[in-house]
Amino acid sequence: MYAVRNLRLCTKDCLCLFVCPTGATDTENSVIDREKCTGCGLCAQACPSKAITMVPEQMPPQQPKKEAVAAALRALAESKTGQEQAAASLPGALASALARSDRVMAEDLLRESGYMLPQSANVRAALQAMLAAPPREGFPREAAQKLLDTLPFNEP
Amino acid sequence: MKRYVCPVCGYVYDGAKGARDAAPGTAWADVPDQWKCPRCGAAKVKFAPEEPAAPGDKAAVRSAEESMTDGARSALCSNLARGCGKQYLPEEAALFTELAEFFAAAAGPAGGADPAALLARVQEDLESGLPAAKAAAEAAGDRGAQRALVWAEKVTRIQRSLLTRYQKQGDELLKDKNVYVCTICGFIAVADAPPALCPVCKAPDWQFAKVEGR
Repeated sequence: MYAVRNLRLCTKDCLCLFVCPTGATDTENSVIDREKCTGCGLCAQACPSKAITMVPEQMPPQQPKKEAVAAALRALAESKTGQEQAAASLPGALASALARSDRVMAEDLLRESGYMLPQSANVRAALQAMLAAPPREGFPREAAQKLLDTLPFNEP
Repeated sequence: MKRYVCPVCGYVYDGAKGARDAAPGTAWADVPDQWKCPRCGAAKVKFAPEEPAAPGDKAAVRSAEESMTDGARSALCSNLARGCGKQYLPEEAALFTELAEFFAAAAGPAGGADPAALLARVQEDLESGLPAAKAAAEAAGDRGAQRALVWAEKVTRIQRSLLTRYQKQGDELLKDKNVYVCTICGFIAVADAPPALCPVCKAPDWQFAKVEGR
């Protein structure tokens, strides 16, 4: 585990500075130094604003999904992204809002269809498939390759 | 050696490997009664024998990306960007955003759309897409999917309501009002200010994005 600070919640009470045994929380940009953090959790317990969270080094594997459920969620997500593109071609604030709303729903539905964790084997398979057969010309291969190289995948 | 699964978090006890106080090679029957799930702390008695996964389920879910349209791929990648953001992984989030933007540009806005056609598609989701998905999620006992579908159904109803009103009132609907979208569930508010709590997902007002027209 290591500590991370949510700057939106931080109220600068600075108790983390008093309790940190290694000075990991005392940085000029307010981002806790992961190199120094020992994962002791004292800062998270001391923070009166609950702005510090302990994050595991390795995420547990995500919940498995039944293909019948995943397929139905994907179909609905496809419908929502189709509507997002239709709304995006219309003028006005309502159309913009509909496009945004469709995108949020599609993201949530796909997340529940087996893509909850970026570190999951499903995401690795998706990135590998994109690289093996780039879906379009100009596909940003370097971005996909870098994700494959750096994400700590947590399933075989 | 039979494996045992934690019903709370899905951890699998493999006797060959052992775990915690149980040395490698400890059969389930010989694991002490006070033994707890090493991942979530659930009691040993809660564990159940591992059921073989439905053949093909895992493989089918895993190869799903290959049949997605560019629009869905974009939402898949923007979802993963948000996931990385929540885990405080800004570099990975930026890379997924780059992929999401590529696929969004490839999908492009669809031509020939109008509000009436959009309303018909919203209606179709409410009549067929959502009920079918809800039935599948319920049959599988998938709480996460059911949660997402409850939100999606409510938000889709709001979309239908707004599109129906827009057909009657036209731009009067938005006169002197702002439009906000909940970035967590997609709820749309036409109001002076965003609601203190999202009526669908209960996210606080700062999770709402103010939307401007083009």
